[in-house]
Amino acid sequence: MAQFTINEEFLQQIELLQTLIKNNIAGQFGGNHQTRTYGSSCEFADYRDYLAGDDVTKIDWNAYARFDKLYLKLFLDERQMHTKIYIDASRSMEFGDKKKAEQALKIAAALAYLSVCQMDKVSVYAIKDKAVHEVIGGIVGKEAYIASIHRLNEVQFDGDSFISDAIMPLNVGYGDGISVLISDFLTDNDYENAIDLFTDKKRDVFCVQILSQEELDPVVRGRVHFFDSENAEKFYRRNIDREIARAYKRALEWSIDRIKNYCAARGASYLLVEAEESLGRIFLEKLVNMGVLK
Amino acid sequence: MSFLYPLGLLGLIGIPILIIIYIIKSKYTEQTVSSTYLWTLSERFLKRKNPISRLTGIISLVLQILAIALISLAIAHPIITVPDLADEYCFILDASGSMNMTSGDKTRFERGKERIAEIIDDSVDGSIYSLVYVGNTTNAVFEQISDKEQAKLLLTETEPVYNAADFTDAIGMAQGYFDKNSGMQTYLVTDKSYQNHENVTVINVAGSENNYGISGVTYTVKDNRLTVNGQVTSYQKDASLGVELYVDDGAEAKANGTIVARAGVPTAFQLTCAIGKFSSLKVSVSNADALAYDNEYVIFDVTSESSYDTLLVSDTPFFLQSALETLMNARLDVVSTKAYAGQSGYGLYVFDCFTPEALPKDGTVWLVNPTQSVSESGFSVQGEVSLEAAEKLVLEESSSSTMTKLTADMAREDVYVMKYVKCGLYRNFTTVYSYNRNPVLFAGTNGYGNREVVFAFDLHDSNLPVLFDYAVIMRNLIEYSFPEVVERTDYYCGDTVDINVPANCESIRIDSPNENVSYLNTDNATCTLKLDEVGVYTVTMTVGSSQRSFNIYASMPEEERIPTLVETEICLLGNATDGGFDGVFDPLMILFIALAVIFLADWGVYCYEKYQLR
Repeated sequence: MAQFTINEEFLQQIELLQTLIKNNIAGQFGGNHQTRTYGSSCEFADYRDYLAGDDVTKIDWNAYARFDKLYLKLFLDERQMHTKIYIDASRSMEFGDKKKAEQALKIAAALAYLSVCQMDKVSVYAIKDKAVHEVIGGIVGKEAYIASIHRLNEVQFDGDSFISDAIMPLNVGYGDGISVLISDFLTDNDYENAIDLFTDKKRDVFCVQILSQEELDPVVRGRVHFFDSENAEKFYRRNIDREIARAYKRALEWSIDRIKNYCAARGASYLLVEAEESLGRIFLEKLVNMGVLK
Repeated sequence: MSFLYPLGLLGLIGIPILIIIYIIKSKYTEQTVSSTYLWTLSERFLKRKNPISRLTGIISLVLQILAIALISLAIAHPIITVPDLADEYCFILDASGSMNMTSGDKTRFERGKERIAEIIDDSVDGSIYSLVYVGNTTNAVFEQISDKEQAKLLLTETEPVYNAADFTDAIGMAQGYFDKNSGMQTYLVTDKSYQNHENVTVINVAGSENNYGISGVTYTVKDNRLTVNGQVTSYQKDASLGVELYVDDGAEAKANGTIVARAGVPTAFQLTCAIGKFSSLKVSVSNADALAYDNEYVIFDVTSESSYDTLLVSDTPFFLQSALETLMNARLDVVSTKAYAGQSGYGLYVFDCFTPEALPKDGTVWLVNPTQSVSESGFSVQGEVSLEAAEKLVLEESSSSTMTKLTADMAREDVYVMKYVKCGLYRNFTTVYSYNRNPVLFAGTNGYGNREVVFAFDLHDSNLPVLFDYAVIMRNLIEYSFPEVVERTDYYCGDTVDINVPANCESIRIDSPNENVSYLNTDNATCTLKLDEVGVYTVTMTVGSSQRSFNIYASMPEEERIPTLVETEICLLGNATDGGFDGVFDPLMILFIALAVIFLADWGVYCYEKYQLR
């Protein structure tokens, strides 16, 4: 079981960041995220003609004095976002030195903290086989976060995971926030449908691919018989030479491009993270540069 | 092809075992990875299949099979016989004195041996070798042997000598081999150049050595001043040579000088010092050169060694006593015939008109007018003959060395006698005077091996004592009776020295310069010593209870001092052919090299597989 710890100082640093939402949020409760609809926030949006029955307190009397016509002052609406974080809990995430699983939990915890700081609702799910298990369900506020974040350590990384099969039956919500998908995506199982589902539901999608150093740059050479950690029936037996090592690199690039391009085509954000990469670099540099955070 | 150790081929069993191991044992390393997805996916991105990658496993197996096969072959040690591949070699090795010349840290002889060893090593196995050694004697060190190691071992045991070598016998031996096998390759390893050499390959081991030599040293002592004359030679180039004179083994030179010598020209020198008497003197060249043996010359004084006590038994000793006392530097005891009781311990016994019952065994004997025969005397007394008038004795004419010594410096005056004793000689005596073919004065060796002089007349019955020749002949007889052990003390190596054996000498021990000890035969009055080494020989004689030692110096022969000597020709008669023997080719080295290459290749394949060192 992967265990993670997170630096409190780091959490204080990311408190200042804010999640940028591409889609219009249609949350039920007010929050910190501006929507494209008019509401009651302090942010001025537009004027419109006064219609009978409108709230007279919103009439701009200065404009009436100038134009001798009643105009209603419109303000942007701010809604609460529901951040849903899906963690691939397959064995491949934990295999080896558990760095990938630990990194996934760290990122999930940090994103959850970032959301609760913005008074958003946060849910964390673990995808195992073809099911999604709720780890943290709809918490709001730091107290709830602190009370429930430890549950991440209870996530069991085991077996295979079928992302699309697991997510498709779910009610993933509609236009109410961001869906974060954390996985190594080293599978020929379908995950594209899940992304499509999120985008169809007007939710922002953020895919985080975590790969270990051995996966990014394997050093193994010679005759090897690889067993798949998720499926004992899968194996790869070959004399690994330079040609195959090059082919592996090309396969890795192809695999990364596959998800990257797929995300780009659907307006989803994508981030490749190394298993041992620091959270500071991920959140304070990469995500800010990508425009996911500001 | 044959095998020295055929059981080594059992190692080939390892090949099927290796194949079985290859079949049974999977060489794939099992490893679990997080996902085989990317590895499986990589198959789609393989641009081309590298055939070497597929073959690496087989290459490794093939290399290991080859390695096992070669190791088995190497253990079995195959020997391949190739017809007409081998040759017969005959080496004539010059071991003369000049081969002792040193260049660098090796002598010419050592370089010659190395060249022979190289030729033996380079020759094909199965060749046969003969080595003819030409030193003091010519002999075959080994003859037609095929064992290289044994040949080289015997070669290393040869050493150079110090005198000149005669190649006549060696060429004769080589000609004998050549007559049997005209395909034989003959090598003459020498330091001499040959203008013509037919059927003989001359290996000249001479370098550019320079040699200085000293020779012809003589000395004179006059007025307590020693003058030494001699010659020094620089054989290769003009040189300024330092010459030093040492006396009586002194460490400090008594005299020295510098001689400018032209190349190859003996240059005279003279050194003097204030010394009237010495036991030995050494003249040496102080310059360093390639041959140290000819850089000094030693002379010993032999005259200081001879003095013997004499017993004169006579009732009328006047003539003899006066002569002996005058001419001898020794103690003379005179006793009457009645007083003689078989005394011993003298070097010379003179019996005048008296014949003892038995001859003394420990010294030279003079019998003057013997009265009766005595055993072991070598002659018999046949009676006294009285002449009517004084008759002239005949001085015999002979060119023998003994006669020459006995009659040296004589005026050949007429000697007359009134009476004489007729003697019958049955040993080999040298007759000086005779009368009517009867020997009356003769000298020789008696039955005890001692010298013996017989006056077959009474001196009182002749005019001899009043003649000039009396003193001369007495001196000659004394010198004959007390011979110098050797005539001189300076010889060349290779010379034969005649050593006069003193009376009653029990043993003669010879200590050579190289500390070899030998003993000479003392049965005869003269024995010979062959000088084979350069340096000081010590001759130690045991006479009675006393020992006398003297030294002889043997110097390097002149012809062996010349660094570059050119001879006319050396040849073997006949036409050389290409006839050879069945050669034996030993491929062991090739097998080892092939093994090394295979191991290297296998290592390369391993690295290729493991680390992809491409």
